Amino acid sequence: MTSNSDIKVSIEHLYKSYGAETAVKDFNLDIAQGEFVTLLGPSGCGKTTTLRCVAGLERPEAGEIRIGGETVVAPEKDIYLFPEHRNIGMVFQSYAVWPHMTVFDNVAYGLRVRRASGAEIKTKTMKALELVGLDHVADRFATKLSGGQRQRVALARAIVYEPDVILFDEPLSNLDAKLREQMRDEIVRLQKEVGITSIFVTHDQSEALVMSDRVVVMDKAVIQQIGDPEDIYANPVNSFVANFIGVTSLLEGKLTARSGETCEVEVPSTNGGAPLRLRGTGAPAAQTGDRIFFNLRPEDVQLHLDAPDVSDGQNVIEGKVIDTIYLGSFLEGRVSASGHEIGIQIDHYENLRPDQTVWLTFRPEHGLCLTD
Amino acid sequence: MTTETLSPTRERSRTSNRLRAMMTQENLITFVVAIIVAGAVIVPLAVLFVSSFKVLDPLGWDTAWGFGNYVEMFTDRIIPKAFINTLIISSGSTVLATFLGVSLAWINARTNCPGRDYLEPYNLIPFFLSPFVGAIAWHNLGEPQTGLLNNLARDVLGIEGAIMNIDNIWGVIWVTGIFFAPLVYLFVVGSLRRMDPSLEDSARTTGAGLVRTTMTVTLPLVMPGILSGAIIVFVTSAGEFGVPFKLSAPYGWETLTTQIFSKAVGDDANHYLGAAMSMALGIITVFLIWVQQRYIAPRSFTTVTGKGFRPNVLDLGPWKWVAFGYNLTFIAVAVVLPIVCLIIVSLHPVWTGKIVWADLTTINYVKTLFWWRPEAISAATNGIGNSLILAFGGASIAMVMALVISYMIHRTKGFGVRMLDFLSVVPIGFPGIVLAMGVLVTYIQTPIYATLWILMLAYITRFFPYGQRNISSIMLAISEELDQSSRMAGASWFTTLWRITIPLLKPGLFAGWILLFIIFLRELSISIILFTTGTETLSVGVYYLTNFENEPLTAALSMAQTVLLLIAIYAFRRFAGREALTA
Ligand SMILES: Nc1ncnc2c1ncn2[C@@H]1O[C@H](COP(=O)(O)OP(=O)(O)OP(=O)(O)O)[C@@H](O)[C@H]1O
Ligand SMILES: [Mg+2]
Repeated sequence: MTSNSDIKVSIEHLYKSYGAETAVKDFNLDIAQGEFVTLLGPSGCGKTTTLRCVAGLERPEAGEIRIGGETVVAPEKDIYLFPEHRNIGMVFQSYAVWPHMTVFDNVAYGLRVRRASGAEIKTKTMKALELVGLDHVADRFATKLSGGQRQRVALARAIVYEPDVILFDEPLSNLDAKLREQMRDEIVRLQKEVGITSIFVTHDQSEALVMSDRVVVMDKAVIQQIGDPEDIYANPVNSFVANFIGVTSLLEGKLTARSGETCEVEVPSTNGGAPLRLRGTGAPAAQTGDRIFFNLRPEDVQLHLDAPDVSDGQNVIEGKVIDTIYLGSFLEGRVSASGHEIGIQIDHYENLRPDQTVWLTFRPEHGLCLTD
Repeated sequence: MTTETLSPTRERSRTSNRLRAMMTQENLITFVVAIIVAGAVIVPLAVLFVSSFKVLDPLGWDTAWGFGNYVEMFTDRIIPKAFINTLIISSGSTVLATFLGVSLAWINARTNCPGRDYLEPYNLIPFFLSPFVGAIAWHNLGEPQTGLLNNLARDVLGIEGAIMNIDNIWGVIWVTGIFFAPLVYLFVVGSLRRMDPSLEDSARTTGAGLVRTTMTVTLPLVMPGILSGAIIVFVTSAGEFGVPFKLSAPYGWETLTTQIFSKAVGDDANHYLGAAMSMALGIITVFLIWVQQRYIAPRSFTTVTGKGFRPNVLDLGPWKWVAFGYNLTFIAVAVVLPIVCLIIVSLHPVWTGKIVWADLTTINYVKTLFWWRPEAISAATNGIGNSLILAFGGASIAMVMALVISYMIHRTKGFGVRMLDFLSVVPIGFPGIVLAMGVLVTYIQTPIYATLWILMLAYITRFFPYGQRNISSIMLAISEELDQSSRMAGASWFTTLWRITIPLLKPGLFAGWILLFIIFLRELSISIILFTTGTETLSVGVYYLTNFENEPLTAALSMAQTVLLLIAIYAFRRFAGREALTA
């Protein structure tokens, strides 16, 4: 972790509920100067609520938030700063570009509010517009812009006055796929260039993995895991995270034996056939007989058309093809084994027929055992 | 059929085919309907225009063609002043109504003011009540000697003299402004409520405080709505007859409408001069409505995004109680106070400005409502019957007409469609009193003059566009494919209309019907020009009582009208939404 003086935003024990419904529960996070942190999770998990608490647009019931060393909200200490007193920038999903102002006036707004001099307003606004590549449309009305351009205006408007932190609430989700990727890369480039601390909310895991220094995975108002993208992908702490980040086949079974790192797991059949006996790794605290969630990523599974010859301790599963889709550069499919569905992904074309018998192999270190 | 084989006979039959195609039922019907509507709308205005160039000789025997009436408008002793008074009243009412309407709409739509879910219907009540009755109530509240509030101030607070005098041009502005505030409210509340809150949120996070955000983001975004509302209030105030007639004309502040009235009836009646003044008023209002429809209404900003929408409102902190108090004050001043005052006054045999508990009586209600009693005043008792006939009949006929016209505009492509579209905007531009002058000069020598029919004709001509807009907005929303798919499924044109289109339109039809019912029940400025003995309406009855009888009798009939209107408002609330009003 970074040293204390580097911390730009600090959130401690944040609670927020709407009536009986808890939207955010005991949220703790420190964000370093210049860091890009993503809040990732399914719809309704409390990402937006957390972000709006930081912005001051929502008042939490408990906890404390500090921005740049200053406490901006702490209900227990009766501290609450209005959004306009927090020196933040925010970019909204719906762009929220003001249609009654020109692009220039939109971007200059924050500087005018801060009583900057005329010359300063002009140079800083034009610089921000150059940064997002919109200096040529400065005099146009915002209504005359495309979705992508509007989001750039919103971005320029939020960074022009150099706030302590910039908050993004799903800024890309209104854009179409191609534009979304382009804007995504642009935001990352800009963030690195300006070096501004950023909190980015999204429910799109690929966005989170590509953009962030650190990812905060949330579910049901609670943080599930915090870590850098590789870490979250490779070592999910529970099956929710494993499933949410990337694709996994999830098999529920029991721990039958353990030797060192390796766990032996028995997954009962659901169609009357023989149970699956699999070897995986993880779950260091689990006892024999405990419930285990066995996670297997499609890209870690090898496909064989004939019974393979296994000697190096690999797992073998025999199953029947359910269906396949060919996606150009690779092929995705589902295989049924003892009534369970296992996803596969292979990088060459294979003519698989439904109901064809196939064999799947994978190494024990790719079978991730989790207890919840 | 190929081109080479075209013979001359074929050629001819083709031309006649085309002719026949143009004579389709669709074309014929739209054309006929357009002619009828044009007759109702254009003829009175045309005759009004022509009449305004007929100059009556000083003896009143003969007429000559010329611009004399227009010259007289500028040289007359009173008319130029009336012109200026109208401008002052309209401007003042517009400022007051816009301020009240926008602030109340903002409080209700964008803030966490307590009770905002319950207050809105009450904020809108003045919109449905009669401003004329409002003026009568305020006269009884704020007249220097007999005004209830002035007497209370003297008795309770021990103040010498009067705290207010409502009987002047400022009183007119006060009452008109309060009564038309809901108009502005309706024009802005929808867009305020639907506005994407992140437009304001982003101003806050960018560093602007609440006041600055409201002034630089919220209000500018609804400015087209505010301007539209303001123009409509200006035009409506300029055409308002009852309030200046009660509060300012008797005290020396004539307006254009009170002057038109005195040229239409009375001893020095001069219909041609009245026509010229009506033309002057009509040209101003038509111009303003044209500006509103052409340039302002289409300008509204799209501030609704749908996606990522999060209904949230501004937290006013302790100020929310100030907002709440402000809203309650409006309702008290605009609705409660006038009604309470009317009730009190109506229960006294004579009104001296003080409540005399021992004298309370219901005689005023007997005299104004119980037509079978010998002491009944027929000008008053006629009113209820006539107004109900006009309201039921007029609203029904107008809605059928509105339905036919909307259907033609949106579902057919006949000859008359564009003309119909135009004709259903024109009446909105003319104040009732102007149209009534046109109807008067057109029909004065026909048998329908001095019957209820002439009133019905004028009511419908002036107000059917409101019903038509109600239906059209729904018809635009119902996609044409719905109709077409039914017809493709084998249903005939009539079955489709009866089974599909009309049921979908039912809420709009009903909302429009009640709205017209309410408007007709309180109508004054058309009726006052066109009534004769026997065809008095409710408002005319109130006019008669306030002019020739006493305040308690006036208050009693005013209350009867108000109660009828409140029942209709309740029905409107029950069965139709706010949307029906802004159409
Ligand atoms: N203003 C509100 N009133 C009541 N409940 C709310 C309000 N705002 C959010 N909630 C509830 O709080 C929970 C968290 O909402 P939040 O908007 O933070 O989710 P989110 O993670 O941003 O989801 P999404 O990806 O759909 O935007 C949800 O269950 C939501 O229904
Ligand atoms: Mg959200």
